[in-house]
Amino acid sequence: MAGRRAKGQDAGPSPIVRELIEAIGEEAVVWQPEDLLVYEYDATIDRGNPDAIALPADTDDVVALLKIANKYGAPVTPRGAGTGLSGGALAARGGVVIGMNRMRRILEIDPENRTAMVQPGVVNLDLATEANRHGLAYAPDPSSQRACTIGGNVAENAGGPHTLAWGTTTNHVLALELVTPDGEVQWIGDPQGGVGRDQPGYDLVGCVVGSEGTVGIVTRILTRLVPMPTAVRTMLAIYDSVRQASSAVSAVVASGVVPAALEMIDKMTIAAVEPVLGTGFPLDAEAVLLVEVEGPPSQVESEGRAVESILRRFEPREVRSATDPEEREALWAGRKGAIGALGQIMPNYYLLDGVVPRTKLPDVLDTVYDVAERYGLPVANMFHAGDGNLHPCLLFDEREPGATERVLDAGGEIMRACVDAGGAITGEHGVGLEKRDYLPWIFSDDDIESMQALRGAFGPTENFNPCKIFPAGHGCGEAASGHAQRTIARFGDKAYV
Amino acid sequence: MTDERYGIDGITPAEEAAAETAEQVGEVLRRATAEGRAVSPIGGGTMISLGMPPERYDIALDLSAMNGLADYEPEDFTVTAQAGMPLARLQQALAEHGQFVPLDAPEFERATLGGIVAVGRGGLRRGALGSPRDWLIGLRVVRADGTAIRGGGRVVKNVSGYDLPKLYCGSLGTLGVIAEVSFKLRPLPSADRAAVIPADTFEAALAAASAARRVDGLNGAVAVSEESAADARAKGAEALTGAAAVLRASGLESSVDEVMTAALTAAGGGPAVDAASAIETWQAIADLELATPADCARLRVGVRPGSLAEAQAAVAAQFPSASRLLAAADSGLLYVDIPLGEPADTATMIADLRDAVSGLGAHVTIESAPPALKREIDVWGDPGPGIRLMRNVKDAFDPSRTLNPGRFVAGI
Repeated sequence: MAGRRAKGQDAGPSPIVRELIEAIGEEAVVWQPEDLLVYEYDATIDRGNPDAIALPADTDDVVALLKIANKYGAPVTPRGAGTGLSGGALAARGGVVIGMNRMRRILEIDPENRTAMVQPGVVNLDLATEANRHGLAYAPDPSSQRACTIGGNVAENAGGPHTLAWGTTTNHVLALELVTPDGEVQWIGDPQGGVGRDQPGYDLVGCVVGSEGTVGIVTRILTRLVPMPTAVRTMLAIYDSVRQASSAVSAVVASGVVPAALEMIDKMTIAAVEPVLGTGFPLDAEAVLLVEVEGPPSQVESEGRAVESILRRFEPREVRSATDPEEREALWAGRKGAIGALGQIMPNYYLLDGVVPRTKLPDVLDTVYDVAERYGLPVANMFHAGDGNLHPCLLFDEREPGATERVLDAGGEIMRACVDAGGAITGEHGVGLEKRDYLPWIFSDDDIESMQALRGAFGPTENFNPCKIFPAGHGCGEAASGHAQRTIARFGDKAYV
Repeated sequence: MTDERYGIDGITPAEEAAAETAEQVGEVLRRATAEGRAVSPIGGGTMISLGMPPERYDIALDLSAMNGLADYEPEDFTVTAQAGMPLARLQQALAEHGQFVPLDAPEFERATLGGIVAVGRGGLRRGALGSPRDWLIGLRVVRADGTAIRGGGRVVKNVSGYDLPKLYCGSLGTLGVIAEVSFKLRPLPSADRAAVIPADTFEAALAAASAARRVDGLNGAVAVSEESAADARAKGAEALTGAAAVLRASGLESSVDEVMTAALTAAGGGPAVDAASAIETWQAIADLELATPADCARLRVGVRPGSLAEAQAAVAAQFPSASRLLAAADSGLLYVDIPLGEPADTATMIADLRDAVSGLGAHVTIESAPPALKREIDVWGDPGPGIRLMRNVKDAFDPSRTLNPGRFVAGI
């Protein structure tokens, strides 16, 4: 600590930082400029500049921190692991970031009632692993599950490949301990409750999940666990065209089977993963489809057979199938490792998240390729084909002048294509800073005003996680909305409802 | 002279209005709010007995004529329909394409989509199917000030903006009038089985259903008492001859039998009902959710599945003569009809039951009761500490308390 203090000697801690330190201890507050750097980023292109990071150990700490921030009128931004993809954890107007990483205990697994009580800083995969030990599973499995936290998942209503069958985070969270922006603690939903959500009253839990950390800080979470499937079968099919693969997806969905996951990756993604991961995908193939079925053995057996024969109807080059956990993992490697592998092609990527009615997927994909070509950007597509949730990944090099702007403009155009197809601007990553100016594309002023009224019911909104979700003209910096403004100028800001 | 079916807890409104469009709903609400009059939206009326007596009730807003299918693209596995459409009609339209919305509301010939969402609860299969909140992906709703708004969308996965559909699920028409709803859908199972396990007592039936509840793939495990079984038999459940556990499995033809065999083994055996009458048997039981004799009040006890037997014991201790019992073992739900005494006495007994089971995390709702009893006790019970925020929400969305005033939790 002495060394750090020496570096910052000409600027000692500000009065608010001194109070934060007094409340939760010196080791739990980060304020020296060089230490703050790591908190300027999440997994998006945007960044924020916090004045201090406070790391509470328990609910009382969170209350104390909020009261101090409120006293100084400082903006507050909650943060989990910082893996978010819409800028939700960025301190858009500076102020205090409340990082939940120290609150990382799994408090209870109740196998009898299939629930878990956890603190928000628990890493998704740690909960999943602990649940497995009881023969249970935690269903939402975002790609960042090795790092992302349950609190962050609650804020964003995180999804993942396996939400096709099991739903997203909101379908699993039963009750929350919430500290509202005014520093009041209350349980919403019943911490002693079960899957039936029997406590009477409004579904506040449903309102908080997916509110992107704008209505309070969640400090404890009661979530549902699901039975671990007794059998799982993963199938992989390689196709010569995206259309063929899309037709196979439609046929699988229409067959009556509800796969646990239905994923697709395209040629550019194949080119990225094959050399790095040795997936054995032919480099001239256009699409790889992954389908997983799970359940009792006989069901997996018959569903697997049905799915495989459908996959073969659309003239694949090859179909692979596995039930053994290690072999299944190998089939998933190309999908799960896709984002990481893209770094081999270009140093930077911009991962988009749009959602369209499933039947519109092939048309919207065509538009994605057109837009990328027009902007001269390589694009890799990996998506949850069963949900109509697409993730085009635009590749670029930020050192190239104007490249970042081009990428953001192309991204805006792709988002508009999703909206025009009857879809929405985010399926699982959230609106955050990134897309708040696009919200009026799908919601009217009255719709947005109603959402803000709901926000107001939870407490003062001025300084609590400002600049997120809702379009706002002022005070949030050019970095936060400059690109969106250019796209708005081209497409207009009118509701498309 | 108003229609009798608009009566709520013996109160009839001075005026009836019917709406066929969201715009018409808006006109009624705008006028009512301006004049300080109270409105209760009415769907199929199957759950009209739920809630406290309205504090004020001036206008019945009948939505049953607002019942069209707005948008259905089977391959998208989503549907949008107007709120007044009965669930049975929607299911019929979906079944033509081999699909269904996994809602298991009782009396679904009459129960409307808007009403089901406004009540917001899952039925006897909620453990496997979830509740309306899990399937509702979007809605159009008219606020108390007459403004029509949208929440959610028509895609199966969506986190764009706040999840307003969740807010309206289970809000009992106190925040707005639901005009249109969008659901995500599932393929109809190709096979659907029920199995009946006769038992000597309700307790034994509950134990059998509980023993089967964790079998992978099973999607219903209920128990009925002898008297409830007789009621169900009168409605067509011929396979029920006395107290019994009834299990349900649906899915692929090739796998449901294996699931059912495993469930029957876990539960201690019993004959499977043939496929043709299985669904009839189940639906007759499901309809018991709404069948309360006039000399009884209906309690609904919701609790963690692992504490259901304890909750049932507490009910039996408090109301030893109650003989109509129905439970969903896999999701912790128990219905019991209790005999009516002097309203104040009955209220005290219910309050005592609530105290006795509160340590289990159980919630006791009075589903239907004569107004005299409702005057003595809050039918909802404790909404928990979230009530502070709930009041704020009500103030934000319906500040003049036009919509269903007094009927929801804690006087909302």
